Amino acid sequence: MSETNQKGLLAVWLREIRFIGSDHSLLLTVLIAPLLYAFFYGSIYINKEEQAVPLAYVDADGSELSRTLAVQLNSLPVVQLVSVANLDDARGMLASGEVQGYLFVPRGVQGQLLKLKPADIVIALNAARFLPSSDLLAAVTKIALTAGAGVRLQYLKSGGLTNAAAMQQVMPVNLDYRPLFNESSSYGAFLLPGLLALILQQTLLIGISVSVSKEWTRGRYGEWLAAGGGRTGSAVAGKGLCYVLLFACFAIFFTVVNYHVLGLTVKGSRIELMMATLLFLTVLVLFGMFIGSLFRSTVATVQFMAFSTYPFFLVTGYSWPFAYLPRPLQAFASLLPTTPFLKINTAIVQMGSPLHLQADALWHLVALAMLYAVLLVARIAWVRRKESLGV
Amino acid sequence: MNRLFHIIWREWKRYLLLPYLRRMLLIIPVILFFFYAWIYQEQEIRDLPVAIWDEDQSDISRRIQFLLEQTPSIHITTSVTDQAVLQNKIMSGEISGAIHFPRGMEAAVKSKHPVTVTVYTNAAALVPAKLLYKDAARVIITAGSGVLLQQYLRSGMATEKAMALVQPVKVTAYTLYNPTFNYRYYLVPGLVTVALQMLFIMVSALGINKEEEEGSFAEAWRIAGASPSLLLMGKLLAQVIFSWFHFILIAGILYPLHHLGQPGALVKFFLLHNLLVLACTGLGLFLSVIFRDVMLALDAALFYTSPAFVFSGFTFPRWAMPWYDQVYAKLLPYTHFLDAYIKTYTMNSPLRYGIMEMLMLLLFCFAPLSVAVLVLARRYRSPIAFAS
Repeated sequence: MSETNQKGLLAVWLREIRFIGSDHSLLLTVLIAPLLYAFFYGSIYINKEEQAVPLAYVDADGSELSRTLAVQLNSLPVVQLVSVANLDDARGMLASGEVQGYLFVPRGVQGQLLKLKPADIVIALNAARFLPSSDLLAAVTKIALTAGAGVRLQYLKSGGLTNAAAMQQVMPVNLDYRPLFNESSSYGAFLLPGLLALILQQTLLIGISVSVSKEWTRGRYGEWLAAGGGRTGSAVAGKGLCYVLLFACFAIFFTVVNYHVLGLTVKGSRIELMMATLLFLTVLVLFGMFIGSLFRSTVATVQFMAFSTYPFFLVTGYSWPFAYLPRPLQAFASLLPTTPFLKINTAIVQMGSPLHLQADALWHLVALAMLYAVLLVARIAWVRRKESLGV
Repeated sequence: MNRLFHIIWREWKRYLLLPYLRRMLLIIPVILFFFYAWIYQEQEIRDLPVAIWDEDQSDISRRIQFLLEQTPSIHITTSVTDQAVLQNKIMSGEISGAIHFPRGMEAAVKSKHPVTVTVYTNAAALVPAKLLYKDAARVIITAGSGVLLQQYLRSGMATEKAMALVQPVKVTAYTLYNPTFNYRYYLVPGLVTVALQMLFIMVSALGINKEEEEGSFAEAWRIAGASPSLLLMGKLLAQVIFSWFHFILIAGILYPLHHLGQPGALVKFFLLHNLLVLACTGLGLFLSVIFRDVMLALDAALFYTSPAFVFSGFTFPRWAMPWYDQVYAKLLPYTHFLDAYIKTYTMNSPLRYGIMEMLMLLLFCFAPLSVAVLVLARRYRSPIAFAS
């Protein structure tokens, strides 16, 4: 890089720092919001998984079996049984949201079992929200299977088998579940690494795009380019570098402090994660500058960025598998830097994958960096020509 | 009354003529609502790629594989020979999980020794992992039951008794309000209504300050007869009535088109919709009066509204959050709207089950609005102050 370019880059960089310092909206977005959001959002999932989901329990049998079922269910951390006198009350509690479901043990269940006839118990769940209903169903199924195994054990022992021999025949095929890379299958451990990356992305995008659009609205486009020595490259690099460095500090802070507070670990190499993050931030800056250059109003820029947060996250394949998006949305998602980065981030943070195994996603980021650099330079050239901003 | 109609009419003209309002109220909602429904076009996840690690190569392991392939979420795409290969394939995204059959499984089953089938999933992607586990567990439990049934029948036990012993406690599950765990049915109404909340707070957060900045506030003030309460009431009603367009868009087009919602509970949804818009507009106008800097008001609105979806407890229950997050969740109108929406609309329970939430939404509207009236009255109490 020539000395003129270096001077231009430094001049734009210093100008941007002064700009951020003097604009309280920008200051709020790029300095305070990332930290506040990271602690604020992150704390929601600090417990990682839900516990004590309220489940109404209607015991019409009043037997030893029904009491045992209740004790066993209550011993599971995920369930909090609420004893209810009858089904009408249970339905009322479900309708009012006091419980997320009800378990009904009909009269005569134990009698059926003693006669070696199948005993039916009924569970009704509110599946309007997925997590509590699926957790409750899994818990009740587990207890029913355990109770069933207990019945078989007693039967086999009554036939003269020793406890050890009976135990061997109770469950001929057992299931060993190994959820890899998130051993407790917790919602928090799954969501938090992606969420922190998303916070980094959206605050950076809002900051850089607002900064660029403010150059427009305040009629300072020419001044910005002039500060870069009239060279688009220096002007873009100077402004962009300011945000890349700032957000790289946030990224390090998140993976050290926030991860520690939230009980998350980086299973792979931190250096490789940082390298990928730096590339990601570079693409984001180019993308954000390009988006910002499209709007002539700062309000419009904020409106666009605000309403893009959820759609951008939902199409990345993080919460809903990428392959299940409609084809045009897959193409759209491929244009977002978050899509390849979240793949790399998950692989390194949660799976401990080496970076070279994520070469596809890495090349994807490089391709996006080139695409947005070309689009941005073309857009600035077009603006310069149109507005006769040649300096 | 005439003044009130004038303010409402003026507001509607502004919605259509000013680009930043037209964009927010007409263009963004149309794109956003249908975009959300489009994301979840597939509705359910099916045929996830799964590897088989079969060390037994027996009749039993092949039969279980056949049953696994019949489930909605499992599609066997490859086989592996050890755990390292399995993990690498999961890391590279080639497979979502794997099933392992141990060596000597069939022999063990025949000699009445227990065997263990292992299910591996990539739990870093929680949704597919849970689906895989659910289907694989069902097949393996069924296979175990089949083995038991054959053993009991072979020993001369009566069929009914054998069946009862195989599954002594049978659970009949009713998953109400979304029996197939359809993701579109689950997520789209939540995403659409949270966008509505953001929309109305962000639009009304520009209701006063933007007029002050643009210099059109004097006109609004004159039409309102220098009455801050009339001016804010006019802006509030204009937004609520205009939001019926969004209600028609959601309940009249989006929901029927994608088979969402409860057509029988439309009136309850309409009531809740109006209450949500009232609450959001009241809060937004308050921000607009307090923050005279437009960008700062917009930032405050954005910061306040954007976490609403996660704090509402829609995807992760509020009772699992720390107490301070639960308190913050209660400070968001969307939380109350969502609770009432699920109870009275999704579950179609009587309105009385959502009465507390509805009262809270009214409080969210009128408490900040009253403060805004006082601030505005104080700010423009004299013509000199107005001129300055």
